[in-house]
Amino acid sequence: MARYAVEVKNLNRTFTTKAVRGKSKKEIVKALNDVNLTINEGELFGLLGPNGAGKTTLIKILCTLLLPSSGEARVLGHDVHKDTNAIRQKINMVSGGETSGYGLLTVRENIWLFSQLYGIPSKEANRRIDMLMKELKLEHKKNSKVRTLSTGLRQKANMVRGFMTDPALIFLDEPTLGLDVNASRLIRDFIKNWIREKPSRTVLLTTHYMVEADELCDRVAIINDGRVLACDTPDNLKKLIHQDSVLKLEIRQVDNVTAFENIAGVRNFTHSNDMASGITRLKFILDDEAIVADIVAAVPKSGSKILSVQKTEPTLEDVFVALVGRGLTNHEV
Amino acid sequence: MKFEEFKKPTWFQMNLRAVWGRAYPRIIGVNRELSWVFFETVLPLLGVAAFVYIYKALEAPPQYIGYVIIGGAMTAYWMNVLWSMAAQMYWEKEIGNLELYLIAPISRMSVLGGMALGGMFSSSVRAISTIVVGIVIFGISLSLPDPLMFAGIFIFTMIALYGMGMMFASLYMLWGREAWHMSSLFTEPIYLVSGFYFPVKGFTTMLGNPGTWIAAGASIIPITLGLDGMRQCLYPGNTDGFLPLWLELAILMVLSVVFLFLAKYSLAYMENLGKREGRLTMRWQ
Amino acid sequence: MAVNRKSRSMGISQKSLKSMRRSIPRYPTGNYHPNKENVESRHRNARTLKWSAWLGWQMESNWADPFLFMVYSVAKPIAASLILVVMYSIIAAIGGGPDIGLFHYMFVSNAFFMYVGQVLFGVAQIVHDDREHFQTMKYIYISPSNYFSYMIGRSVSKMVITTFAVIITMAFGVFLLNVPLNIFTINWLLFMAVMVIGIFCIMAFGLALAGLSFLTAKHQGGMNEGIAGLFYLFCGVVFPVSILPSWGMSFAKILPITYWLELVRRTLNLGVGMDSTLSGASTAYCMAILCLSTLIFSIVALAIFKVGDTVARQKGLIDMTTAY
Repeated sequence: MARYAVEVKNLNRTFTTKAVRGKSKKEIVKALNDVNLTINEGELFGLLGPNGAGKTTLIKILCTLLLPSSGEARVLGHDVHKDTNAIRQKINMVSGGETSGYGLLTVRENIWLFSQLYGIPSKEANRRIDMLMKELKLEHKKNSKVRTLSTGLRQKANMVRGFMTDPALIFLDEPTLGLDVNASRLIRDFIKNWIREKPSRTVLLTTHYMVEADELCDRVAIINDGRVLACDTPDNLKKLIHQDSVLKLEIRQVDNVTAFENIAGVRNFTHSNDMASGITRLKFILDDEAIVADIVAAVPKSGSKILSVQKTEPTLEDVFVALVGRGLTNHEV
Repeated sequence: MKFEEFKKPTWFQMNLRAVWGRAYPRIIGVNRELSWVFFETVLPLLGVAAFVYIYKALEAPPQYIGYVIIGGAMTAYWMNVLWSMAAQMYWEKEIGNLELYLIAPISRMSVLGGMALGGMFSSSVRAISTIVVGIVIFGISLSLPDPLMFAGIFIFTMIALYGMGMMFASLYMLWGREAWHMSSLFTEPIYLVSGFYFPVKGFTTMLGNPGTWIAAGASIIPITLGLDGMRQCLYPGNTDGFLPLWLELAILMVLSVVFLFLAKYSLAYMENLGKREGRLTMRWQ
Repeated sequence: MAVNRKSRSMGISQKSLKSMRRSIPRYPTGNYHPNKENVESRHRNARTLKWSAWLGWQMESNWADPFLFMVYSVAKPIAASLILVVMYSIIAAIGGGPDIGLFHYMFVSNAFFMYVGQVLFGVAQIVHDDREHFQTMKYIYISPSNYFSYMIGRSVSKMVITTFAVIITMAFGVFLLNVPLNIFTINWLLFMAVMVIGIFCIMAFGLALAGLSFLTAKHQGGMNEGIAGLFYLFCGVVFPVSILPSWGMSFAKILPITYWLELVRRTLNLGVGMDSTLSGASTAYCMAILCLSTLIFSIVALAIFKVGDTVARQKGLIDMTTAY
């Protein structure tokens, strides 16, 4: 039986916000609501959810930065409450958009500093830093001050910092946040290669990029409002709505889409406007293909014209929409 | 990508490396940003000089100028404890480093020890500059008949002081902007009660018994007895000392142990509290 | 400035640059009125000043927050004054017999010097905090509001907080230390004029320091004591200027703060005649020198702010972080 890298049982976490006199009241926010989850050793596991879903809260608990309000969480067999030091020996974390480090030090010096917190001898630390920098195409910046780096380069430096300790489990919290296509691809390829090299390595990746989760993860948990709504392989998740049809329509741009709402047999509906090309893109998850005619008939009612019609296979995004009731980037419906 | 295995360091080695790691940016950083020489060493001398001139205007005995110079030199360490160690925890949280320190398998005291060690470099430069200015410009004369006692007083003052700084740091780890205000509060009032610009026995001279109680109360802050002890060592034969030197050294030794113990306890307690309340990594408080 | 710099690197001569500038229409066509824009700009700057003062009040002190009030308006100023009290008392007790007038001199100057300390330290801290801590400087900087107005607004809140501290310190002196302040003999008109000019001057110094802070790393502590220390040493705050060596006295005589503090002491009738350097000068003369030196220093301060601002942009320092 595979050992669990992460095991979470009935995990809850609430935060109490401070009141601002005359403006807001004290509020209790439930960031994690009865979360149950297991991640196998050697797995690249994705946590998929919108902002504020509870992804970072869960990571903080697993990283020993935050205690659960109730429930149990074990990392590599150790309790997050009691065995913090044992966990810390084996984990590391990289957050997207992170600005950590010291502006006056060079990239290499900054990463070396953090290697010392893990007791890595300087010679080996520097060897690892050079190797990882080469892998992430950062070696030309190793002697530049951190404050002079672009967002992408800074994130690569953070990746070097996190992976340099060769953790058994690494937490990657939106590691490609705000990066361009090339930098994102490089980081994704790096993660894939890293986990492939050693079967005992585990990655917990949070993202709200569906494609990233689809491409990288062995299993994905969809989380929203602090609850895990589904957890399985991307293929199995897609099968959840496989019997449903996904219909994509491109119509001449309309501002009002009420004509498409409440059509019987539509399980979910999202839309977005492309101002540049004057197109409105509509996406329907259907219970029954027979209602395509009703949707097509609604187009003239909305005062628009059909430009293209496409029936597609479901993606993780469709699964997300079906489960959450809205897309990550589209309007809520 | 192949990571070489390395011999697992002992707990002590690991923490020693962490101390050096955190000290490094302080030592290298200040040398890279040379404006610190001006801001951290030259400018503070002006404030000290002003207090020297007060005594000149008051026609005070010459040793009082030396007392101010010693106080001015020790101010560097007090400022380092307040701003570059205790309040630094708040700053580390704001720039995102604190969580990286907290997930590392090391004692939090090593990170703080690194800050202290690194900060001591610039503080010592400032302190020595102050003494040199005192000797060269203001013509103070210091004598050191018992260097061992002086070294003992200085070393235990530093240990106790930085232990106290670590204890403060545990509070600052959770606090937001209050940390800044607290450091601000610990400036002038501590200059007053610890006698940075006058011998702490002055309270007794001025107020009698209540003054002695003030000085005794202030002795919980290690720099109070540290300053008094160093002044007694460097100006032997004067009667401005608050307590006998041996007693001051003994109290400083006790304070060192107490503050280090309290620092360890309060760091663990506040970290746990922060994790429970979710304030440990909350920025922009 | 940006056009100028770029043109130099592109090898365009200053002469062609001038002709290029002339060829650019000065105002856009249509319903555009330059006066209207000036009015809008003034309103915008006034708004900036107002909200930045409010922001400063919220962040640094708040009358409604008892802790902050205690720290900045009671504990720190009273402690600073008590240091002088103890120093004076010790020397008096051991038989030095210093003039009580000297105590009044240092007490009142020290109380009013808080304006200098608070504003000078405050602005450097605002620049460094906005740049590196809150990382909002770049957003304020690129907004149509003037950063200059923003800094003045933030300084205004410092001034208000300091005013509470000065009043409390003076009250402490009068009621507990027998400082002989008689509010009925004060020339209030002159006092108000002195305060307005002095505060204007201090804010100008603050702006100069803000300009320099654009270029410096975030140092802690040293800046706090240091910049104010310069004025503390040379402006006759806690001892008469006449104690300083001759070069120090000459330097003191060109600093407006020296005259401002002398005028404050004269209008409050405390510690007058202690300083032989200015005792021969009439109040009108001191006032004239204060106005003139304030004017000169304000122009210099403005220039320093502008240079600091330009160099920071040239070197890309507006959003730098310098933690160590």
